Amino acid sequence: MFCLIEFTLDRSSGVSTYLQLAHQVKQALRLGTLRPGDQLPTAREVVESLAINPNTVLKAYRELEREGLVEGRPGMGTFVRQGVAGPTLADHTRVRRGLEAWVRDARAAGLDQEDLRVLFAVVIADLAKEDVA
Amino acid sequence: MSAALEVTGLGVRYRRTWALRDCSLSVPAGRVAALVGPNGAGKTTLMHTAVGLLRATEGSVRVAGEAAFVAQDKPLYDDFTVAEMLTFGLRTNRRWDGEAAAARLAGLGIPLKRKVGGLSGGQQAQVAVTLALASRPDLLVLDEPLANLDPLARHDVMRTIMAETAGRELTVLLSSHVVSDLEETCDWLIVLNGGRMQVSGDIEELLDDHLVLTGPVGASEAGMRVVSAGRTDRQVGLLVRGAPSPDPRWQARRPGLEELVMGYLRNPESTAMPALTGVRP
Amino acid sequence: MIWVTWRQHRAQILVTAAFLALLGMLLLGSAVEASRYVAEHAPPGCPGPAVACGEVAVALGQRYDTVYSVFGWMPLVAPALIGAFWGAPLLGREYERGTHRLAWTQAVPVWRWLAVKLTVLGGAVVAGGLLLSLMVSLWRPVFRSGVGSAFGNVGVFNMVGVAPAAWWLYAFALGTAAGTLFRRTLPAMALVVAGVAATMFTLVQVSDHYAEPARTQLSGTVVLDDPDVRLVSSAWVEPSGREVGEPSESGCARRVDVGQSSKNTDAWQACLFGKGYRFAVYYHPASRFWLFQWTEAGILTVAAAALGGLAVHRTLRRPG
Repeated sequence: MFCLIEFTLDRSSGVSTYLQLAHQVKQALRLGTLRPGDQLPTAREVVESLAINPNTVLKAYRELEREGLVEGRPGMGTFVRQGVAGPTLADHTRVRRGLEAWVRDARAAGLDQEDLRVLFAVVIADLAKEDVA
Repeated sequence: MSAALEVTGLGVRYRRTWALRDCSLSVPAGRVAALVGPNGAGKTTLMHTAVGLLRATEGSVRVAGEAAFVAQDKPLYDDFTVAEMLTFGLRTNRRWDGEAAAARLAGLGIPLKRKVGGLSGGQQAQVAVTLALASRPDLLVLDEPLANLDPLARHDVMRTIMAETAGRELTVLLSSHVVSDLEETCDWLIVLNGGRMQVSGDIEELLDDHLVLTGPVGASEAGMRVVSAGRTDRQVGLLVRGAPSPDPRWQARRPGLEELVMGYLRNPESTAMPALTGVRP
Repeated sequence: MIWVTWRQHRAQILVTAAFLALLGMLLLGSAVEASRYVAEHAPPGCPGPAVACGEVAVALGQRYDTVYSVFGWMPLVAPALIGAFWGAPLLGREYERGTHRLAWTQAVPVWRWLAVKLTVLGGAVVAGGLLLSLMVSLWRPVFRSGVGSAFGNVGVFNMVGVAPAAWWLYAFALGTAAGTLFRRTLPAMALVVAGVAATMFTLVQVSDHYAEPARTQLSGTVVLDDPDVRLVSSAWVEPSGREVGEPSESGCARRVDVGQSSKNTDAWQACLFGKGYRFAVYYHPASRFWLFQWTEAGILTVAAAALGGLAVHRTLRRPG
């Protein structure tokens, strides 16, 4: 069977395996690789490629289900729920253009890649605090 | 959940020395259980007793349904072809899924006409595991299945076993003295040390139930169930079971599987068994 | 399980069968050739006292000796080979390679695995021994008609009747038991070879006691007329009827012979017979052939059963 996404594992990351799997599904949803109605690979398919315990896959899928991103259909498999969508593709493109302009601007101002990363992380953290407050 | 393997008060003696003593454990059906411990801990003895190669001197071992066994070094008849090994399985078993076995071997690129002795170590391991699975066991027992295999072969063998557990209700008991081999694959942990059981339980629950604490010398250890401790002049590192002491100088985090196992092996007096008194200080 | 037995032991089975077939062809060929020779050269009335008959008998004897020298070693070597290549690897090789842990963890229980292997291979070994016996028994009369049965010569005795089957079975059981003892093939093979040789030596010694020896008194000669008997012992009988090993007060002088000559001994014996001495011979007559065959076969079969029982016991007690 044709699989829409291929899981990978970073065994040295220290992040537990089921979280890595769940994270990769979310990433695929954000990037549009997975769309509503798509089927996730079965536990057996994941297990056959990664050589991990099938319960780990089921646990990751349960986690995604709990967050309302996917739904299990008995006897059929696990599917991305209708109505789940990240930002639309148009929004995605528009925001990306803006970010590209910002990065060029920052480079011109003499910031290197590491500076950019730090700046980006700080801004995200500050905005998150504002939201909470 | 019903037990696939139930061991009660098991003791096995070779002549005058006890290889196993007072072993009780129960592995629920459908689990992949890791049997770990240093060399000579009694892992092989426990497995051989479970599959009927050894008799219990005292106590009992009960397997629900049929067990299949892959012994250490994956013994096969070197002068048989792979196809003849499958015929061997067919003639010596009641249940036999030869088609699935042949298909799996074909999928792995192992030619049926090749002599077993001419296969690589990884391929021989695959043939041995495939034979064991073809008898459609309820319990699959593997003694050091990953020893002497290169990383790719280890991965391939584990894939074969894990895929089978995903497909149907199969309980697996596999031994290793390399804990990192088992981290992704097992969900049940059994620690044997010096012929005695130290730990038996669900891995996630065990990890949730333990903490690694680091703190300065003098931080209060009152009321804690310490599994093992490492001390320097200024710092103390503890593996504890259950809640930590309220002393704020402790820094706590969840242990890794390897840390948990090592903590118990370092202190053979500690045990973590269901329905038992647990850790002795 | 029968397929498994065949597949694992077909090399031994085929080699043994091929060897027996080869021997059969050799025996058949030599028998046909000898019959032709007799038909062409023996005048009517042979066997008989005619000189031509004597020549034919000598020619036949030479042919017999030539072929016999090819397989005369079989009573000792064949059981040793059977024990070493059929018995010793049966369990020894499984233990050595660790494959017993594969074989005995399948659904077939260990006792059945053992029962099939011991029955099939033991049966094949017995059949092979009987086949050898049959071939030799059909071949010998062509050369030895009227010359004697197979009783006097222990080598021939062990190639006819039920002896080969019993010997082969015993060696097979000895090898199997040795395999469980050493859990390795090579030492088990060595034990079989030594064990078969020791057993054969012992049984040759013991066989004199299978029955009470017959006794006969000779006068004028110390040689029993029938060559196909087994001599047990002999003694001189004084005129008074007392048996002595060495007549001391006979008054006959005994001088030592020089070289090949037996002149002095002959003279001494003639002197003794002249003074009324008799020569007593204790022996087993050829009529006891089957009594001896069955006694020896019985001893070997009981020993084989005991060794087989030991192998089974050791295997079932601790298969791992």
